[in-house]
Amino acid sequence: MIEDDDRIRLSLTLALEDEGYTVHTAATAEEGLLRQQREPADTVLVDLMLPGIDGFQCIRELRRDDDVPIVVVSAREDTHDIVAALEAGADDYLVKPVAMKELSARLRALRRRARTGPAAPADQLRIGDLNVRAQAGEVLLRGQPLALTRTEFRLLCELAEHAGQVLSRQQLLERVWEYDFGDERLVDVHVGRLRQKIEDDPGTPARLVTVRGLGYKMPR
Amino acid sequence: MKRPGLRARVTAGFAVGALLVSAAMALLSYQITERYLLDERERTAKRAVLFDARIVAAGLDTDNPEVLPVLRSLDTGANRRALIWRDGDFYSRTVVDSDLTDSLPQSVVDLVGEGKPGVQRVRIGGRAAMVFGIPLGDSTALYEVDYMSELDSNLKILGLVLTLVAAGTAAAGALLGMYASRRVMRPLSTVADAARDIAGGRLGARLDPATEPDLARLATSFNHMVDQLSARMERDRRFAADVSHELRSPLQTLAAAASVLDRRRDQLDQRTATAAGLVVEEVQRFQELVTDLLELARSDQPADTAPVDVAALARQVCRHRGLPTTLVTIGPGTSPVWRVDRRRIEQVLANLIDNAQAHGGGVVAVHLAQQPDARILQVDDEGPGVSPADREAIFDRFVRSRSAGARGDNDGTGLGLALVAQHITAHDGSVQVLDRPGGGARFRIELPPEQP
Repeated sequence: MIEDDDRIRLSLTLALEDEGYTVHTAATAEEGLLRQQREPADTVLVDLMLPGIDGFQCIRELRRDDDVPIVVVSAREDTHDIVAALEAGADDYLVKPVAMKELSARLRALRRRARTGPAAPADQLRIGDLNVRAQAGEVLLRGQPLALTRTEFRLLCELAEHAGQVLSRQQLLERVWEYDFGDERLVDVHVGRLRQKIEDDPGTPARLVTVRGLGYKMPR
Repeated sequence: MKRPGLRARVTAGFAVGALLVSAAMALLSYQITERYLLDERERTAKRAVLFDARIVAAGLDTDNPEVLPVLRSLDTGANRRALIWRDGDFYSRTVVDSDLTDSLPQSVVDLVGEGKPGVQRVRIGGRAAMVFGIPLGDSTALYEVDYMSELDSNLKILGLVLTLVAAGTAAAGALLGMYASRRVMRPLSTVADAARDIAGGRLGARLDPATEPDLARLATSFNHMVDQLSARMERDRRFAADVSHELRSPLQTLAAAASVLDRRRDQLDQRTATAAGLVVEEVQRFQELVTDLLELARSDQPADTAPVDVAALARQVCRHRGLPTTLVTIGPGTSPVWRVDRRRIEQVLANLIDNAQAHGGGVVAVHLAQQPDARILQVDDEGPGVSPADREAIFDRFVRSRSAGARGDNDGTGLGLALVAQHITAHDGSVQVLDRPGGGARFRIELPPEQP
C-alpha cells in the first residue's frame, strides 16, 4: 500500500489485516517501487497525491515491469483523474472514503481474476489475424505476441469468445471484472488501452468496435 | 382589468398623436381653403351682379320701361337666378324663380330698403347659395341668387380627402409606433433571453454593451450582476467541494478504524460494543453525507448524455438492493434506451427507490414510458403519500419527510431528493410528487423528448 497519510495507512493496514491480508506499506512512491522490486506483492494499492513521484507516474513505473493488479484509492474523483489513472495502467479506481466491505470485495474479485482465466475459454480463437491462446495466456497479432495486462487479456478473451456478438458494459463488468455493480468508465478505458495494442489505427478501430448505446463487439 | 402591454400602449399613443396632429392640420387647411374659395367666388359673383345691375338700370331708364324683357336680356348662366323688385312687386323669368322671393334673407332685403347693396350666404333647398341685393333707385332693386353647387361639391371632396388623409396618417402613426416599440423592445428581449439562459444554468450568457449604445448601462449592470452572481455561486460550490474533499482523508481513517472495531464487537463489553456500533453507523452516514454533498456541489454541471438502457439500469438498481426486478415495467411502444447521463440517472433511480423504501412503505413500481412530448420515469410507493404542503419542500436540501414521522436510524442524508431534482434539472426535465391512484406517493420525472 503506497499512501502518504500516516493515519489512513495505519487504519487501512489494521482493517485489511482483519480481512486476512498481509500488508506492506510505503509512504512514498519511490519507497513503494523499491519494495515491490524486492518483495513483490500480489496487489498494489496506490494513492494519487504523493510527495515526489506522483501516483500516475508510480502506476506507469509499476506497470512497466509487470502486470500486478493495481488499485487506486484516491480522494480525487474527477473523471479526468480516474481516466488518467486507468490509462496509466491501473486496474481499478476507488474514491475515498471507501467502505472496507467495498474494498475487500474489489480485492477478492481482482485475486479471482488473477488466479483464473476466463470462465470456459476455447483454447484457440482466431479472429482475422488475431490469435488468442487462452490456456497459454498469450495473444498473437500476425504471429507477434502482444504484451497485455491480465485485465486486458480477460477482456480480449471475453470479446473474442463472443465475436460477432455485442457485449454491454455491464456484462463486461460482470464477466471480466466480476463486479455486479461498477463504474462503466473502467470498461471504456480498458477497451481504449486494448485498442492501442491490437488496432492498426486506434482512432478508427476495426477489430474492437463500439456499438452505440449498447456496448462493444469484435466483428468476426 | 388587465393593463395593456407597453407595446400596445406605445402603438396607441403614436396612433392618437398622429390622428390629433393630422386632424388639426386637415381642419385648418379645410378652413383656409374654404375661406379663400368663397371669397374668390364672392368677388367673381359680385362683379357679375354689378354688371347685371348696370344693364338693368340702363334697360329701365327709358320712357316706357318693361321689366320682363330687361330681365330676360340678362346673361345669368346656369347658376344665377335674377329677380327684379319694382314698385312692391317681384318679377322673375320663370315660375320656379318666383318661389325664390320667399327665400331672400331679411337682412339683405332690409339693407336694400335702406338703399345699400347687401350680400348674404344662405342654403336654399339644401343648396349653398349667395344672395345679392342691389338697390336701383327708390322703388327698384335687382336681387340675384347665385348657387354654388360646384364649389360646394369641391369642398365636400376636399373634406373627404382631408378626412382620409387624417385617418391614413393615424394608421401610419400606429404602424410607426408598433415598429418603434418593437425596436425598443428588441434589446429588452435580448436581456430576457440572457436572463432565461442564466436561470437555465448557462452562466456564461452575457450582453454585449456595444450593440445598443442607449442600453449600454443596462447591459453593463446586467453583466456585472451576473458576474457577481456566478462568482458567488462558484465560491459556494468550491467551498462545498473543498470542505467535502478535506473530509475525505479523515473519513477514510474513520471508516477503516470503525470496521476494525465492528469486527471485534463481540469481544467488547456491552457498553463499549454499543458505543462502537454507534461510531460505525454514524461514520457510514457521515460518509454518505459527504458523497452526496460533493455530488450536489458539482451537479449543476450539464448532463453528460449517451444512449443508456434505462430499464436495465433500473433493474440493476433494484437487484443491488435485493428488490425483485419485476418491479420495473415499460409502457407500450417505449424503447428502454434513452439518451441520458447514466451516472446521474442511476443515482436518481437509487435515491427515489431508497426514499420509497425508507419513507414510502416500499417501492411498488418503477415505470418507464415514452410519450410524444416527454419521457416519463415513475417510482411508486405504498406509503402515506406526501401532503400537498410538502410537495415542493421535499426537494430542498436537508428536508426530511414529515409525513413519515420520526427519523429512523437508517434515515438518509437529507440530500437524496435534492440531488434527484438537481440531476433532473441538468437534463432539462422536471420532477414532481403526486398521489398514486390507490394510495401512496408517485414520483414522476418528465424528461424532454429524445432529439432525433
